[in-house]
Amino acid sequence: MADYEAIVIGAGNGGLTAAATLAQHGVRTLLLERHNVPGGCATSFCRGRFEFEVALHQLSGIGTEEKPGPLRLLLARLGVLDRLELVPMDDLYRVVIPEVIDITLKPDRDATVAALQAHFPAHKDGIAEWFDLLWGLFGEVIGAFYFKDPQVTREKYPLFHRYALQTSAAEMDRCLKDPVLKTVASAYWTYMGLPPSRLALTDMAALYFAYSEFLPYHLRGGSQALSNALAQSVLDAGGDIRFNCGVRRILVDDEGVAGVVTEAGDTIAARQVVSNVSKVATYVDLIEADRVPLAVLDELRQARIGPSAFTVYLGLDAEAADLGMTASTTFIVGDTDPDRIYARMFQREIGPRDGMLLTCYNAIDPGFSPPGTCQAALVTLKYGESWRDVPPRDYADEKYRIAADMLSAAERVFPGLRGRVEEMEIATPLTHQRYLGHPQGAIYGFDHHVKDSPLFVANRPHIRGLYGAGGWYGSGGFQPTLESGVAAARAVLRHLNRSEAR
Amino acid sequence: MKSDIARKLDGYDALMGEIAAARKYGSDFTPLRGRLQDAVARLHPHRVALRVSRVIDETPSTRTLRLVPAAGNLPPFQTGQYITLFFDLGGVRTARPYSISSAPSQTAFWEITVRRVAEGLVSNHLLDLGPGALLESSGPAGTFVFNPVIHPPQLVCIAGGSGITPFMSMIRETVQRDLPRRITLLYGNRRLDDVIFHAELNELARSAVQFDYIPVVEDPPGNYPGRRGLIDAPLIREACGTLDDKVFFVCGPQGLYDHVLPQLEAMAVPRRRLRCEIYGAPANVWEQPGWPAEVDRHARFTVTLPGGRHVEAPAAVPLIRSLEKSGWAIPSLCRSGTCSLCRLKLLSGRIFQPPGVPVRSSDRRFGYIHACVSYPLSDLEILL
Ligand SMILES: Cc1cc2nc3c(=O)[nH]c(=O)nc-3n(C[C@H](O)[C@H](O)[C@H](O)COP(=O)(O)OP(=O)(O)OC[C@H]3O[C@@H](n4cnc5c(N)ncnc54)[C@H](O)[C@@H]3O)c2cc1C
Ligand SMILES: Cc1cc2nc3c(=O)[nH]c(=O)nc-3n(C[C@H](O)[C@H](O)[C@H](O)COP(=O)(O)OP(=O)(O)OC[C@H]3O[C@@H](n4cnc5c(N)ncnc54)[C@H](O)[C@@H]3O)c2cc1C
Ligand code: FES
Repeated sequence: MADYEAIVIGAGNGGLTAAATLAQHGVRTLLLERHNVPGGCATSFCRGRFEFEVALHQLSGIGTEEKPGPLRLLLARLGVLDRLELVPMDDLYRVVIPEVIDITLKPDRDATVAALQAHFPAHKDGIAEWFDLLWGLFGEVIGAFYFKDPQVTREKYPLFHRYALQTSAAEMDRCLKDPVLKTVASAYWTYMGLPPSRLALTDMAALYFAYSEFLPYHLRGGSQALSNALAQSVLDAGGDIRFNCGVRRILVDDEGVAGVVTEAGDTIAARQVVSNVSKVATYVDLIEADRVPLAVLDELRQARIGPSAFTVYLGLDAEAADLGMTASTTFIVGDTDPDRIYARMFQREIGPRDGMLLTCYNAIDPGFSPPGTCQAALVTLKYGESWRDVPPRDYADEKYRIAADMLSAAERVFPGLRGRVEEMEIATPLTHQRYLGHPQGAIYGFDHHVKDSPLFVANRPHIRGLYGAGGWYGSGGFQPTLESGVAAARAVLRHLNRSEAR
Repeated sequence: MKSDIARKLDGYDALMGEIAAARKYGSDFTPLRGRLQDAVARLHPHRVALRVSRVIDETPSTRTLRLVPAAGNLPPFQTGQYITLFFDLGGVRTARPYSISSAPSQTAFWEITVRRVAEGLVSNHLLDLGPGALLESSGPAGTFVFNPVIHPPQLVCIAGGSGITPFMSMIRETVQRDLPRRITLLYGNRRLDDVIFHAELNELARSAVQFDYIPVVEDPPGNYPGRRGLIDAPLIREACGTLDDKVFFVCGPQGLYDHVLPQLEAMAVPRRRLRCEIYGAPANVWEQPGWPAEVDRHARFTVTLPGGRHVEAPAAVPLIRSLEKSGWAIPSLCRSGTCSLCRLKLLSGRIFQPPGVPVRSSDRRFGYIHACVSYPLSDLEILL
């Protein structure tokens, strides 16, 4: 007899929404998390008088009450919307190329186009054309997939047919031309981890469409508030959660998934398992090798582990405005060639030519840290390989050395930053690996090249009863991973013949 | 359906070629089975198996235990960090943090220096161990560390009693490795024979240019030539000269913080140049600000756990101790409220958490508490 109808492994975004959806549909559900708090990336930690946000810079897909985005609707269906305080950001982002440009864009397409045209009058038409293309293309994606059009034809979806398998650089070069303009208008590529020469045009369109139409948001209390609210809805619906309870084995028999074995050695039986654990660890570590289907190994072979991050969390004893942190989101870009920036993501070093992001939450939420202080996260993407072989005894020194270089680079935009740091924590790819269990500390799952799109790598069960949720089974980022958990839960419900109504 | 769509897209054939090539030449993760977490385990092992290799008498109440790895290597640590030792003492599974007093460049062993605590459960057990005894610890943890990115290289360390241990590691490392730092140690003790490492500190101060040692004894023998009394503002000022270019580290019993921190504040030392080590749950919690006068400190309450089981819990004892005493194993590390490992959910009832315990804001909202610094004020119902 099964102990539970469904077990969800991992309480990251995907695991939490999967467990909440299952429990709310009356499925006897157990959520197992290795860490002592829910959230995975979506978490916070305290240092001194600060509570540092780990991952959330800008939440996408929320929209307003009048014009709700998909994530707002999802959170409402899960019953957590009322438990959250959503704070819209008044800026899309600020981009600074030191000594070249300092410009702030608004989360509004027309305003963005106007601001860019004012700054780059020579490229007026190209700017309009670029944004028309992004919106046109993404509009077609919504029509075809979000509204599930049964007839996706070339006539109805011409842009999609033409561009769905293209990267962004060609059209961007054609429309925007000027490297500074391109840098300003494509700064969001870092949110997907691939530069325009590799990033699918549809992904670029999705980024700009989602953040402009549905506004970037901040969560009061940080992403931990969302994770705690989701965990609470699992409990409210009768689901069980065990923290400090990692899974070391997914049991598979001839009928499919049979249950899990915890790190403490308990066997828990269930015929439906949703894994929020990386696809690599799920199939390479958690399942006996002789039960792993070859088709999965093929999928893994085609994929490349995506970037992790190097982050310096800063608790500062000065107000945001006094430090020049006028926007909540500032991209500091040291090179107008994104391919060179991408190449440096494979190196451990950080210098003035890198790209980095500084998020200051107090700029829109003054109460985010105690009066007279502010909190910021300075982050840049780094592939994990370059940290893997640092000798253990040099690890701490290496962290400090690189953090110091990173602060120096940021001080070109925020002078005096270093002198006001009261609390500092440094996270390397190994830190992310430690807390998430993901190989090389990847924060968005695999690289998302065009070839890795769900058009080619569908997230379907390779083993009967085993489903994937989270960044490793689709796209990374808050909105996609929260959505993927619901999708995985729906697949379980279909299998169990439970009604999806609620 | 999606693959039908894909076939009609521009560039489909080229992309299929790309996929085929990627599958042929791509990454094979299967040889990494069981080794995916190796790089992390080298830095942050979940547990370290240790063997006592030597026991060194320091003072009448204090001994140093030298710990060698029972297998493999020790993970690295930063001076000022602690390890938590885990115990099963007659069915009570518990844990205690101890700062590492040896230097990090000494990779063959760790030393911890333990003072006997009257009635203490663990310290008395530890001090009776001899060479060969086996122990289990966490990896090194803690944020009481010098950060070269933001701290000036002149440290003023203020220690009381067994609070000397993290500084011993810092001083040894600085002197042995000739680091470009200056350390001034103000070390307060009740009696002269309480002073741990007195001879070694004197010797280091004599031989190393980076290090000054100022012992302060509250109640010394009549002929004692050194400083008497308590560490106070005039002494700190005299020892430091200028304050602006110094970072202050404080570690000791609660009395030291109560006494020294207001003085540092009065001297306008900003918090960014002050680090205080955590020091466990407060001793007489009913004396803390905010303790409700109507709750008798001798009161005893009933805690209901999942499955309807009950545990008796006195008001003045941290909840984690009462749970452990009844045979429950609660994960813990810092035992001081800061690491959140002992986080559990309060379903009903009231508890007291001393002011300033760093609980995440949304944890507070959803009723999570840190059991190592939570005291029952009524009957409780909890979720583990
Ligand atoms: C520094 C940083 C900045 C980011 N910025 C943004 C941003 O601004 N906007 C945005 O949208 N996204 C951002 N992201 C990405 C986003 O946070 C992640 O893509 C998303 O949260 C991943 O969710 P997930 O469902 O894949 O689960 P994860 O968060 O990856 O969690 C996986 C969970 O599984 C648990 N687990 C693993 N192995 C086991 C096991 N064997 N047993 C039990 N449990 C296990 C882990 O402990 C973890 O809790 C950022 C991420 C980071 C780290
Ligand atoms: C970061 C950190 C580093 C540390 N480093 C060191 C170090 O280097 N050296 C060192 O000697 N110690 C160190 N400690 C303290 C150490 O962890 C232990 O707390 C100490 O050894 C006492 O443990 P114990 O089990 O003997 O005493 P406990 O049994 O925990 O008793 C401690 C005190 O609580 C009182 N008490 C016991 N039971 C109860 C009860 N039921 N109700 C109320 N009060 C009770 C006792 O009378 C005693 O005064 C450190 C602590 C921290 C947080
Ligand atoms: S053990 Fe660290 S907070 Fe309780």
